[in-house]
Amino acid sequence: MANIEPITGRYVRVPYEGEDYRVFYEEAGQGIPLVCLHTAGTDTREWRHQLCDTDINSDFRVIALDLPRHGKSIPPQGWWKEEYKLTAKFYSEFLMAFCKELELDNPVIMGSSMGGNICLHLARNFSSDLRALIAIEACDYSPGWWLDWLWNPHVHGGEACATSVYGLMAPQSPEEYRRETWWYYSQSGPGIFKGDLYFYSVDHDFRETAEQLSGDIPIYFMTGVYDFACTPEMTEKTAKKVKNSECIIMEEIGHFPMCENPVTFKKYLMPVLAKIRQTG
Amino acid sequence: MAAFDTGWMERWQALVNQDSVTKIIGRHLTTDVLLAFGDTAYVVSFVGGTIPKVSSNIGPESTYAFALRGPAETWAKFIQPVPPPMYNDIWAMAHPLHGRLQIEGDVKVMWQNLRAFTWTLDLMRNVQE
Repeated sequence: MANIEPITGRYVRVPYEGEDYRVFYEEAGQGIPLVCLHTAGTDTREWRHQLCDTDINSDFRVIALDLPRHGKSIPPQGWWKEEYKLTAKFYSEFLMAFCKELELDNPVIMGSSMGGNICLHLARNFSSDLRALIAIEACDYSPGWWLDWLWNPHVHGGEACATSVYGLMAPQSPEEYRRETWWYYSQSGPGIFKGDLYFYSVDHDFRETAEQLSGDIPIYFMTGVYDFACTPEMTEKTAKKVKNSECIIMEEIGHFPMCENPVTFKKYLMPVLAKIRQTG
Repeated sequence: MAAFDTGWMERWQALVNQDSVTKIIGRHLTTDVLLAFGDTAYVVSFVGGTIPKVSSNIGPESTYAFALRGPAETWAKFIQPVPPPMYNDIWAMAHPLHGRLQIEGDVKVMWQNLRAFTWTLDLMRNVQE
């Protein structure tokens, strides 16, 4: 009998600001909608372990989407005439438009890196439509990554982007999974990783506003000790400012918990999912 | 014999030159790099993913494309079999948030060969002291 994984991949059309986006997403399981956000310059494959995990997908409808320009989601019309720069406005509003098209009822949003940082923007503007936020490797400000070398015709973008993030992973994470994450990073379109990092390092800045978040939905911050872009100290400092938040520091893991070491990540994630389940 | 002395550098050079992966991913890695471990510095010459020469005789006439300079204590953590957080990667040490390693000079060739170059530095963890 064929060993077929439980993941189903589909395309949905998402209207946003006059554009008809063709968006690829994968899903598995049933229950509370849990929308998973990939990191900069990558795609849904980062979440393959959690999508297939019956301990997770028996209580959650796990959904991972490719943002436009990523994975199998094609860019919008006219992409060839502009420099790509992801903004907090587009990112957060597009995610909510995606959730609306799938008719998700108060989903949980879980994202890592830029997917973690966007949780602060979602908390500020869309908390009434959400159940909880799991902000992985997130903080109020993460400078230093919007670099020209990541999109330069003299440099192989795939190799440079992938190698620049390799050291964000913990040496304790299985090499097989660290290399797989490198592989994802080697495959984004020209300038996409850098364009995502415009949001990550420039357009995202909650240093003065994190304390103003209402706290009406819980935010679970989870950061690995090997993350040198968003250190545990940076996350802890942010979490102290954010009402109704919890800060979880994860040992022996880095910036890509879900794909660099799904076993270690699961130890920390399951109690968070249990809390979300209990609160309904 | 201690880490970063000339004997240690020779053993690292030999490891790189015997490494089968470096031969594959480093075929375009041809440049001269200054590596400074505190006050101890070398110019490492890469040619096609091998290191034919390591020069410890650094002076006014030394030339190199780019340099990596950090305290010996920082490098000592980097070469541990399981390096601690913030020391496991050159970008971890050099990121502006941390500033433990300075990367200077014409770094284009470094970015062009980042995969092979960092692979050779990671081999420092296998050098017998």
